[in-house]
Amino acid sequence: MICPLCGFEYDETALDCHAACPMAQGCAIVCCPNCGYQSVDESKSALAKLLRRLLKPAPPSASRSKNNEPS
Amino acid sequence: MTCHPEAPALDPEAPIVLVGNPNVGKSALFGALTGRYVEVSNFPGTTVEVSAGRAGDIPILDTPGVNSLYPRSDDERVTRNILLARPPRAVVQVADARNLRRSLLLTLQLAEFDLPFILDLNMADEARAQGITVDTARLAQVLGASIVETVATRKQGVDALRARLEVAQPIGYRIHYDGAIEAALARLAVLLPSEPAGARAVALMILAGDADMLARYGGKHTPALQQIVAETAAGYSQPLNYVIAQQRSRCVDCLLGQVAHTSRRGGAAWAEQFGRLAVHPLWGWPILAAVLFGMYMFVGRLGAGVMVNWMEGVLFKQWLLPVATRLAGYIPVPLVVEALVGPYGVISMALSYGIAIVMPIVLTFFFAFSILEDSGYLPRLAVMLDRPFKAMGLNGKAVLPMVLGLGCDTMATLTTRILETRKERVMVTLLLALGVPCSAQLGVLLGMVALLPPSAIAVWGAVVVVTMFVVGWLAARLLPGQRADFILELPPIRMPQLGNIVIKTVARLEWYLKEVLPLFVLGTFILLALDKTGALNLLEQWAAPLVVNGLGLPPQTTGAFIIGFLRRDYGAAGLFTLARSGALDAGQLVVSLVVITLFVPCIANVMVIAKEHGWKTTAWVVAFIFPFAFGVGVVLNLALHALGITFA
Repeated sequence: MICPLCGFEYDETALDCHAACPMAQGCAIVCCPNCGYQSVDESKSALAKLLRRLLKPAPPSASRSKNNEPS
Repeated sequence: MTCHPEAPALDPEAPIVLVGNPNVGKSALFGALTGRYVEVSNFPGTTVEVSAGRAGDIPILDTPGVNSLYPRSDDERVTRNILLARPPRAVVQVADARNLRRSLLLTLQLAEFDLPFILDLNMADEARAQGITVDTARLAQVLGASIVETVATRKQGVDALRARLEVAQPIGYRIHYDGAIEAALARLAVLLPSEPAGARAVALMILAGDADMLARYGGKHTPALQQIVAETAAGYSQPLNYVIAQQRSRCVDCLLGQVAHTSRRGGAAWAEQFGRLAVHPLWGWPILAAVLFGMYMFVGRLGAGVMVNWMEGVLFKQWLLPVATRLAGYIPVPLVVEALVGPYGVISMALSYGIAIVMPIVLTFFFAFSILEDSGYLPRLAVMLDRPFKAMGLNGKAVLPMVLGLGCDTMATLTTRILETRKERVMVTLLLALGVPCSAQLGVLLGMVALLPPSAIAVWGAVVVVTMFVVGWLAARLLPGQRADFILELPPIRMPQLGNIVIKTVARLEWYLKEVLPLFVLGTFILLALDKTGALNLLEQWAAPLVVNGLGLPPQTTGAFIIGFLRRDYGAAGLFTLARSGALDAGQLVVSLVVITLFVPCIANVMVIAKEHGWKTTAWVVAFIFPFAFGVGVVLNLALHALGITFA
């Protein structure tokens, strides 16, 4: 993940900031280890996952096989 | 340029020390040099991890990523101390070739340590792909240092680097600071012990106000050293650390001009120019005003206007509520029916507020906010905000939590830990809770503001800004602590990708609804309970002197303020509904908006304040904020009436 505030690239799955936070239960916020800026963890959003799947282009092999189907 | 001092006898256990900015591929290079025999331990007396390994017989240390060797964090302090503790065999600075400016700022600091040095330009392939050309030979000549290009992740160039470790030499380049600073350095050098390396760096750090260095090296000369620092500082209007950093920064720009070239397409050049203007002391403000106006139009007109009209007026009032009311009619218990579709019902109030009113507003706001984030404008907004905070006289370190509060006040409260004294932490926590709306609340407030004429918006904005300024100014007088600079690296301006914006907006919206809807339901139950027991009427009567006489608002706004105790935006949504139904005129809406803007953000924020500062302090903060918010509202109402100001 790239922090929108400072541009620092970090692995949001490796953060342990939640241990210090009283709101940790089910928290979907990740804090940049460089500047502290908070972003929503998209990997915890079911809607974002669904949308990502819908927006994802079809894999090239799938489209090739479609094209190769006899008409 | 200076002559290199005679090299001391080589200590076989003297390590190679890897130094670099965060995220430049230092750990990848460490792995490439050492293989998998790595020991990770905390630096003594700290929780900062330092990795140690060996490249053959030579020990190698991987230090934490740093942006400066003039420490502002434990990581920077540990790295600086490693360099001063034991003369290393060589220092290898891992630099991101894509961001040479940031790396050279560190290089020129390392030059002052006078240690054997190699500059490793890592990610050279990515830099070339981005059109960035670095004239390595010219840079090596100007710096007077050995330079190697690597792609550490693919182990390219690592052998060449290994071969040069034994012949590393101190950097030849020296910054010539202005006369007063060079004179001060000469006076300090006489009083400081002659270290095998780093004497100039130590003197500069003492001059920049580093208390650790003064304590460690000052000895009996401490008062004399302090006297030199004070005399030098008296000659500048800015703090000495700022002056030194500025002069070093100018040297880096000069170096970059000689060695780096970026071939840009027209769009990139335009983006760079816009990025510069966005933080310009003059042009940055009209750009900021244009961005805010754009957000106001998008959130206020589209979100709070068109979308709310349809969601509330058509979807809820014409379709969902009639169906829900009909279905609820089958339930034999009147109280349950009322709890679902009555005036304080879960469907008719909590869901109606949460989904029909708040959701369209925060949806448009999150969309606009994501554009700000992905375009690279957000850090520039933070730089612009730094200036008024500085004008208040606030400690520079306090700026970061305040800026972060625009994301989420609750989390920003946790970041007040970076402040040094308890007094500072409490004061910034108070300011955060008092007047910095989080992104969601900013969206709802922006939506409400759209109901107002421009003159009323100006009054609301002015009252909130002046209140914050006065409280901040008073805080700064009460907390005169040392000012620290707000340092933020500015990423390039870039074109946001629609797909990313949409996904980010949806993820935020889901998080927001999950967090607020339960609170909205809870608030509705509280109002229902108060209504059924008659307590709401009593509260309205008790609050009448304040709400009706003091604030000049109708009694039913009491309910909105009660739910505002749970979340500021829930209260705002209640006021929004009253205003749309015609129960509030523009003047009353301005007064109520000011009061709700100055409320404590949410119940979660109160819990975090308690976690950080204890319940006693939390009680004081809350006991200050609510009367203060109502007090400002009363003063505004009286002032509007006394001056005969009405809004068309």
